[in-house]
Amino acid sequence: MINLKIDGKEVQIASGATILDAAETVGIKIPTLCYLKKVSPTGACRVCAVEVEGADKTMTACNTRAVDGMVVTTQSEKLSKIRRELIELLLVNHPLDCPVCDAGGECDLQDICYSQDVVRQPFGADDVNAETIDHWPLIQQVPNRCIMCEKCVKTCHETIGSSALFVNEKGDKAFVDKDLDKCDFCGNCVQVCPTGTMISKPFKFKARPWELRKTQSVCTLCSAQCQVEMHSKQGKVMRVTSEDGVTVNDGNLCVGGFFGHDYLNSDQRLTTPLVAQQETSWEIALDKVVSEVSNLREQQGGQAIAGLASPHLTNEENYLFQKLFRVALNSNNIDSEARFSSLRAAKVLNEQLKLNGASNPMDRIGTAEAVLVFGADLRSESPALNWQVQLAARKNDTRLIVANQRQTKLVKQAESFLQYRAGSEASLAGALAKLLVDKGQTDNDYLNRFVANRDELDQYLSNFDIDAACAASGVNRAQLEKAADHLGQASSVAIIIGRDVMASAQVENAVAALANLAMVSGALHGNQGGLFPIASKGNTQGLIDAGVAPEFLPGLVDYAAGKEKYASAWHATLPEGGADATGILSGIEQGTIKALFLAGTNPLVNFPESGRWRKALEKLEFLVVQDILSSDLTRLATVVLPGSASAEKRGSVTSLDQRVNKLRIAVAAPGEARPDLAIFSDLFARLTGKPEPSEKALRQEMMSLSGSYADVCQSLEQSNFCWKQAYTPENKSLTAAKPEIASPPPAEMQLLVGKCPFQFGTTTTYSAANNELAPAGVIIVNPEDAAKLGLAEGGQIKVTGPAGSASGKVMVNSMVPVGLLSAADNFTEMNIQQIIPSGSNCVAVTAKKA
Amino acid sequence: MAEVVFSSWGGKVIDNRQGGEPEAAAFKLPGNYLDEGNVGAFMGWDGVIVLDKDVDIVTMAAEYMKRVQEKYCCAKCTPGKRGTRVMMDTLARILAGHGEESDLDTLTGLSDLLDNCKCTLCMTAARPILDTVKYFRDDYLAFLRGERKSKQAKSYRDKLTAPCMDRCPAHIDIPAYIEEIKDYRHDEALGTIRNRMPIPAVCGRVCPHPCETACRRALIDEPVSIMVLKRVASDHELLHVQEPPHKAKAPTGKKIMVVGAGPAGLTCAYYLALEGHKVKIIDMLNEPGGTVAVGIPDYRMPRPLLQREADIIADLGVEIEYGVKLGRDVSLRELKEQYDAVFLGTGAFKSKPMGVEGEDEGYNGFSEGGIHYLRKVALGEGMVTPKRVIVVGGGNTAIDCVRVALREGCEDSILVYRRTRKEMPAESYEVDDAEEENVQFEFLRNPTRLIVEDNTVVGVEVIKMELGEPDDSGRRRPVEVAGSEYVIPCDMVIPAIGQDPDLSYLEDGDYGIEQTRWNSIVTKGGTMMTDNEGVFAGGDCEYGAMTVVLAVGHGHRAARTMHRYLTEGKVYLDEEDAMEDIVNNLGVFDKEENLGIIGGLHREHQPKIDGAERAQNYEEIELAMPESQAVREAERCLRCYRVAMLAVN
Repeated sequence: MINLKIDGKEVQIASGATILDAAETVGIKIPTLCYLKKVSPTGACRVCAVEVEGADKTMTACNTRAVDGMVVTTQSEKLSKIRRELIELLLVNHPLDCPVCDAGGECDLQDICYSQDVVRQPFGADDVNAETIDHWPLIQQVPNRCIMCEKCVKTCHETIGSSALFVNEKGDKAFVDKDLDKCDFCGNCVQVCPTGTMISKPFKFKARPWELRKTQSVCTLCSAQCQVEMHSKQGKVMRVTSEDGVTVNDGNLCVGGFFGHDYLNSDQRLTTPLVAQQETSWEIALDKVVSEVSNLREQQGGQAIAGLASPHLTNEENYLFQKLFRVALNSNNIDSEARFSSLRAAKVLNEQLKLNGASNPMDRIGTAEAVLVFGADLRSESPALNWQVQLAARKNDTRLIVANQRQTKLVKQAESFLQYRAGSEASLAGALAKLLVDKGQTDNDYLNRFVANRDELDQYLSNFDIDAACAASGVNRAQLEKAADHLGQASSVAIIIGRDVMASAQVENAVAALANLAMVSGALHGNQGGLFPIASKGNTQGLIDAGVAPEFLPGLVDYAAGKEKYASAWHATLPEGGADATGILSGIEQGTIKALFLAGTNPLVNFPESGRWRKALEKLEFLVVQDILSSDLTRLATVVLPGSASAEKRGSVTSLDQRVNKLRIAVAAPGEARPDLAIFSDLFARLTGKPEPSEKALRQEMMSLSGSYADVCQSLEQSNFCWKQAYTPENKSLTAAKPEIASPPPAEMQLLVGKCPFQFGTTTTYSAANNELAPAGVIIVNPEDAAKLGLAEGGQIKVTGPAGSASGKVMVNSMVPVGLLSAADNFTEMNIQQIIPSGSNCVAVTAKKA
Repeated sequence: MAEVVFSSWGGKVIDNRQGGEPEAAAFKLPGNYLDEGNVGAFMGWDGVIVLDKDVDIVTMAAEYMKRVQEKYCCAKCTPGKRGTRVMMDTLARILAGHGEESDLDTLTGLSDLLDNCKCTLCMTAARPILDTVKYFRDDYLAFLRGERKSKQAKSYRDKLTAPCMDRCPAHIDIPAYIEEIKDYRHDEALGTIRNRMPIPAVCGRVCPHPCETACRRALIDEPVSIMVLKRVASDHELLHVQEPPHKAKAPTGKKIMVVGAGPAGLTCAYYLALEGHKVKIIDMLNEPGGTVAVGIPDYRMPRPLLQREADIIADLGVEIEYGVKLGRDVSLRELKEQYDAVFLGTGAFKSKPMGVEGEDEGYNGFSEGGIHYLRKVALGEGMVTPKRVIVVGGGNTAIDCVRVALREGCEDSILVYRRTRKEMPAESYEVDDAEEENVQFEFLRNPTRLIVEDNTVVGVEVIKMELGEPDDSGRRRPVEVAGSEYVIPCDMVIPAIGQDPDLSYLEDGDYGIEQTRWNSIVTKGGTMMTDNEGVFAGGDCEYGAMTVVLAVGHGHRAARTMHRYLTEGKVYLDEEDAMEDIVNNLGVFDKEENLGIIGGLHREHQPKIDGAERAQNYEEIELAMPESQAVREAERCLRCYRVAMLAVN
């Protein structure tokens, strides 16, 4: 500890702290302007200059480390004069456009002029007017207003890891420039800008800050669920921001969170119920649903009715959805798109590790000594996890290992890159586990205490053939050994599992092998690191927890085992059997399922075999689509029920790391659209004759019935979020698996489906901002393959698999290896999922110029 | 140098403007700038020097501030970015005849405000302006009254420097790369280093880092760990399995021969290859690195890393042929005929004699010299090290020898040195390391005679010494204590007194290449070209045995002048080279400077394998500094940039 004196006050602080840190602990406020806590100090504005005994010159509090015995003065006439003059210099040639400046009213420069009594301008310089940079998408840069604090540059590099911004030119001509190719368009530069230099084009001239009503909520575009503030005016969300220091995301947002909210105001929003594509009243629409499904239930039984819910719905909505089906419709034909990825992984992890979701809060990634990112393009799939990895690798000396088929952006920060071939995930993870055991880099006490079948694990790994794994994965042994050393030498390990694994055909084997690796590497133990499967969409975790699957009741309780308990809690008889998404599809095809209720989900684009789904849906007698945006799907529906977006309703959602977040209403849903919960409640009441359940009652019911949510709901009433019960496995509760090892994949060209970094599901394809960045799907081709196939950047390519064909624009990029094509599933027009077989994300294709 | 008209340099005012007996100045500034003209005046961080009374000092001040603001100000702090802008515009206004007397107060006031700058670039740039306002006020007033018109000098020549980068023989932009490390931009830091030094993995490990002796941070606490930060940047690329981003320019069609794949040769080849020239290197050894490879043991400089540096250079299209020795396998004349230019970087491989009776008798157990011993061990050429070894000398080679001897199985490794530990030319941390490894030191002893039985060395007779008056080198001269001789028994003696270049390849006539009397090649005026047009030289063969970083500096300078020779047919120094030399001669670091700030922060050290056990193998003993620690260390840098400008008349 260090002892110093600031303005006469004794301060004690840890070694390494700055004068500014020290002053803060005793409530002394030193004025700052360029200081931003989450990035390294810049010391640009010099406004935090203080006097230090023994120094003739001033020293800046933000970047001068406190030293034992230091005597600091933060307020004096000399300092006031210096600070005033520094700000006067900042105002030289600063434009007088405050009335129309985007930052007017929330400008740190205005504030500091006011607080430091800057009322005159003694300095003059030739008037120069730097041109506004207007050619960047979504962000405008007004150099005249820039105070060169570099907050944007540092946030872009240190926090986000894009490293797109840089200071160009020298002297007074210097300005913040951008390498557009590197930009992720996360908008954090706009957020951290203290003046009106970095501006969001979509927000510009839309509102003055004091006109905006702020609502604290969470972003539900991905499963990290960043905490945000929705700024609304006249019933419209105008912008979304997040506050540093107090949010789990430390104020950071991504292109989805910052720019993606525009879909809320889309003219494609559903505003009135439709029956037979005709606008109608809620009464008529709901009557229609009730009469159709009641008839079917009476005549053919509940098994003729099926429903698919969604990660776009809240916990309460998903909970009521499954209850509606099981109790009111006597049908257990319920499922969701989680069937194709997260649910399959969740089953394995639940069985093997008693784990449902991540084992630790995500901020434990940033402090882990080693991080393995397996099959994830974090920048696209989970920007918030990417920021954690950035923190870890950039600032905390963490060893980063990236295992991926593609050369993701993260690879350049990795000390080990294991570029594997599709289908070899389990081999690769198994080989790493074996190497850790062989090198003696495991915690034996931990394994003996927690693993029920330690002998089987040892036996499995001792028989494991590393050379075969190398052959299958295409990763050489030296690379593997290096990666294993990084994992083995670290006292804490985080393993992140991404979509490439969880949506793959081999998900069970791959996740089982990764679960073994998590045990062996120590990822499951201790306070740092952890195992982090990335739930595929916004509230996928809550959807799984709510029991929207035929084999599970809420809380991942086995359906058969828990049926009696739930039946008595719900005062109902629960149906037998039940079809999952695949069963529902074939049930429709075979004519056993006649009616389908789609709540916030679109099989025509988002599901593998989307072409087959289209044919099936066309065959249905009765299709109810409850959604917020009109699409090909709503045009197929008999009844369309307009629901609400997450900014328009109350409820809770659960993040990938087990945070239960409260949604608040920022704006009302458009037209006659209703919160989805209200629609389900209404239907539930109409079908059962019971009163409509309240949101709070439902939450209490759900939480009391699902183990890991117990006691959570009380604290949620008062706060923005709370945690599900922490992961604390009991002794001998973990089971090592013996996953089968796949043979080397075929040599044909493969197409891998992933996510576009600028789009989130199909939702943001209704946002003009996101479409400016990614208007349509592209198929990414390695330059060698492009040359072989005669494809050029921007040309058209057609890919054909067993299930069908799709075509799109070519992007030539060596991030994909030779023999692999890559496309995103966000785009309705390309509809890449139509060529992907069910339960897979990869398919052998033939490709040619279209 | 020419007579000084006026100087405020270093705070000492010399004013000979009024005539009378001229007061002499102590600084070293040349009277002329290349062949362009006379040096009229000089402005920089420490004041103003006027050599020619006709220089328009106000115009020069305006030009200086314009260059500071437009060419050098990094814009990373408010007073620097805007303060120098206001000063620039104010001076321009005065020149244009639109100034007011209050403008002089603005200049003075801003000079004070610039004391709050983030770094010393703009801060020190205010100093000469302040001095002109103070000592040339009448000139300003003449402009303000409209009585004078601005008069430009024939030319102005400027230079950005810093004490560390000036002291570094390779003149790396040290503050820049340290700031890049501080900003977590390790790859950019490495790029900055590579602008001046293509072997950062080497110089991040074994550089004697003269830069750190010119670090201003040392004036308030301890110098910044400049060398280790270089290694951090270099390790970052290696650990992250990245390839350097540089690319060679389009081929020029010119062919260059570089003799010697040591630091000078590799450096010269690298920069020439980047310019698009076709470079071939020949080396007498079978691996790259020269003295670095075979003279610096692997526990200090792992050779695989050296190999990687050479591979990076080879990847630019440089051909390296090993096992070819100039003078034995090929003659300089042949090379000269086959190539458009030749660079000699042949090093200094010949051990100096001890001057002891019997040393040229070829006794068993008497090593030819430290450098030979190290090379034989490094190359695995059957060197057997006995149990008791005496190494004579006090330099880095001597230290390397005693430490290598331990690793080769010797039980008593004894260093004999004629002065005390304090005077040893070896780096003090190397001496500490040797001591930690249980090397025995015999200070104030000088060998007088070899003790030989059956043609085999069995001991060394030494005489005790004591320190007398300081000699030319400033160190106290060792004086023999008469009659104090005694014998230290041993099985082997390794003299490590020093090395000289072996220029025997010039024996068939010196081929027009002038040599010094201590057997090194003479080059001209900083161009690195020998008397023989088209033949350049650098490194130990030019300077005598010196440091890796000096060789790198030579290689870089030679590549620049060779490029001009190849493309323009002329060998000359450009502004950057010439100003570099002028500023270097003047000196940038002032060890008496009062910084006006306080320190109190310790320098960060990289972790090291401790204890004598490490002397059992050749594993690298210094471990990589974690990057977070490197950032902390980089934060200690004071960014001591300075801008110098000459007016040439």
